[in-house]
Amino acid sequence: MSIKEKVPVTILTGFLGSGKTTLLNRILSEEHGKKIAVIENEYGEVGIDQGLVINADEEVFEMSNGCICCTVRGDLIRVLGNLMKRRDKFDYVLVETTGLADPGPVAQTFFMDDEIREEFSLDGIVTLVDAAHIDQQLGRSDESSEQVAFADVLVLNKTDLVSDESLDNLESRLRDMNRMARVIRSKQADVSIDTVLNLSAFDLDQVLQRRPTFLEPEYPFEWTGVFSLEKGRYELTLEEGPDPTMSLVLLLNQGKDETSLNSGAESCVRLYAEQEQLMNPGDMVPVGKHVSLQLQSEGTKSFFIDVDKARDIGLFTQHTAEEFNMKLTKVNTPSTDEIDNNQNISTISPIAERVWVAEHEHDDEVGSIAIEREGDVDPEKLNRWLSRLLSEKGVDIFRTKGFISYAGESKRIVFQGVHMLFTAQPDKEWGNEPRRNQLVFIGRNLDAAEMSREFDKCLV
Amino acid sequence: MSGIEAFSPKGMLHEGWSTQVDDYAIVCGWALEGKTFLVGDVAGGLYAFEGKSGKLIWQIKDIHKGGLLAMSIHPNGKTFATAGQDGHVNIWESQEGTATNALELGKGWVEHIKWSPDGKFLAVVFTKYVYVFDDKGQEHWRSEEHPSTVSAIAWSNSNELATACYGQVTFFDVVNDKINQKLEWRGSLVSMVLSPDGDIVACGSQDNSVHFWRRSTDEDSEMTGYPGKPSHLAFDQTGTVLATGGSDRVTVWSFQDDGPEGTVPGELMLHTEPISCLAFSHSGMLLASGARDGSVFSWFLQANGQGDPVGGAFSGDLVSQIAWHPDDTALAAINANGGITVWNFKVRTKTSLQEFE
Repeated sequence: MSIKEKVPVTILTGFLGSGKTTLLNRILSEEHGKKIAVIENEYGEVGIDQGLVINADEEVFEMSNGCICCTVRGDLIRVLGNLMKRRDKFDYVLVETTGLADPGPVAQTFFMDDEIREEFSLDGIVTLVDAAHIDQQLGRSDESSEQVAFADVLVLNKTDLVSDESLDNLESRLRDMNRMARVIRSKQADVSIDTVLNLSAFDLDQVLQRRPTFLEPEYPFEWTGVFSLEKGRYELTLEEGPDPTMSLVLLLNQGKDETSLNSGAESCVRLYAEQEQLMNPGDMVPVGKHVSLQLQSEGTKSFFIDVDKARDIGLFTQHTAEEFNMKLTKVNTPSTDEIDNNQNISTISPIAERVWVAEHEHDDEVGSIAIEREGDVDPEKLNRWLSRLLSEKGVDIFRTKGFISYAGESKRIVFQGVHMLFTAQPDKEWGNEPRRNQLVFIGRNLDAAEMSREFDKCLV
Repeated sequence: MSGIEAFSPKGMLHEGWSTQVDDYAIVCGWALEGKTFLVGDVAGGLYAFEGKSGKLIWQIKDIHKGGLLAMSIHPNGKTFATAGQDGHVNIWESQEGTATNALELGKGWVEHIKWSPDGKFLAVVFTKYVYVFDDKGQEHWRSEEHPSTVSAIAWSNSNELATACYGQVTFFDVVNDKINQKLEWRGSLVSMVLSPDGDIVACGSQDNSVHFWRRSTDEDSEMTGYPGKPSHLAFDQTGTVLATGGSDRVTVWSFQDDGPEGTVPGELMLHTEPISCLAFSHSGMLLASGARDGSVFSWFLQANGQGDPVGGAFSGDLVSQIAWHPDDTALAAINANGGITVWNFKVRTKTSLQEFE
């Protein structure tokens, strides 16, 4: 007996009128050599061209433990159970959900029921978005933002009805909500089939090959300046800016090349996750600490930095230097008692500057959080944290994906989750690749700083 | 198929006959007082074999477009009904396989059909509705719309039909068109059996439990702790014990005295993979069980639910259904690979000794 190949399943979601039926028909006509079963929940606006169409009644039920994260679709279990008996099995199954459906229970069905899990593999979740109407829908209903949050592919359809500018805005809004998904634009759901089928979206390796930057971290700081300094005291001055406070981390011996900047950023992410220390004007900035500069008072605010010998220092700031007209100057009098601002002031320019992709202020409740760290984690600690996180916030966490490096494990661990259900499986060998961890959470009202802090506690 | 090696019939199961059909054999049953054994496969192939020899009597292909889902043999054994993904129910006579009637329910699957004990009615599940047809194929009664797709049906007597769907079991008087009783419980019911006197309703649930009610006293209980969902349930003819699947062991609850609440069930362990079918003999406490590993065992049960194996055999692939011959002298099993096996069931005697006398 050969190893049983699982039948791939794609879940198709989207509001009524977003073009699901058009896409379905397109798939069926282009893939006519294959046996495709379509499980529908509503009669489409137009008929389905061909293929086996089964109507299911969207019977969502909770497991009796009362946890809404464990809701599954009973009708799907029955229908799929019968489909898998045929000898001339189906090559593919498409499950269409109603416009108002939460895709969670459909996805969870493929994790929760043993018999279904044995025969089928969830290939991906494709959400169609009506470019002309999604803006209103996102504000009005939880379902539409959930459909966006769950997606592996977002098909931005009916783009001909909207200006390029609003399309760009919409796309960046959708990306903010779900950074894992690939966004494809189309006019009449005329997307190429291989962008929606056989994605192995639940196979992270392929996701990474296709989109290596999908996990590119968002940093909690926007700007880095590297300054080459002599021994002495320096004054950091800030004017009025967009916020009454600003976080900052000072690192010594910061290199100015790309690798050094990245590794500095990496360690700063960890430092930023720690509780900040409040700094009032006139205070000394400590090295390697997350500080919050208090900028409430009017006029120029000054903070001081002592450098023990000639070296390059890095300043990692929450906002760009420009926004606060931030300047670094050498204090010429060695005495610290009195500062004479008019004496010999020359602003020191950074030898290297870098603007980072900053974490956005999200307008939408639904958003993505990416955690990227080098090093190994303690499997037990991580498991404890994730179990707690998912049991407390599972309702609000729609999808989890990522790679983890377990201490003492030669293979990479792949994480997959839908709401509270998650699997962790060993994947390929790390080999010579640097050990690192990448996790993405898509959910509602998630606390990024808190989650990063908790993750850091799991690091070895 | 994994985890078990083929073995020859043991104990009271003896070599009988075996044959093969074209696709996954999904339904079977004995007709014409056991003279004929009927088999249906998922692709819609229908076959009649001679009960004693296994010789093919007749066969029909593609009886339901899309596939066959269910079969029910009339109590008199002379006719039977089939249903499928085409939304049709066909009525056949057993002797030559002639179609005598066809009922078209609509666009949707028909997964459950069942003749009433007196053979006057045929109950048919179509989505959220249940239809009852008389023996002429005329619609006699139709249920109200259920809150979700009906997942199981059973006749408690010839006029009363029980239906199970998400969250409830309903008893309908199909002659006087009224609801006799509604039992509610928040759970997805995947299987249902009634005790022979119709008092106990047992349902397997998607969340790996068995829930049951006593209609006369309104008591209900939930048996949890199954590793899988108990899709297969069977009561013995006296209603003393309930055999349940849901794992690789058969769990047997005894209803004698105050049980099964607070009692420890009997557990029959020989299969290596989850139970895929259960059937009690027509008389006595003999249980036959089939599993996904292709093994078939017969067990002699005691009233307290404990039991011992009396026979074992290997059918070759996931056992999709087993059926005792009407006089319990043979046991038939059909499997996912289209394999059909019939074993004679009798005491194993040492004939060789007698030859020397």
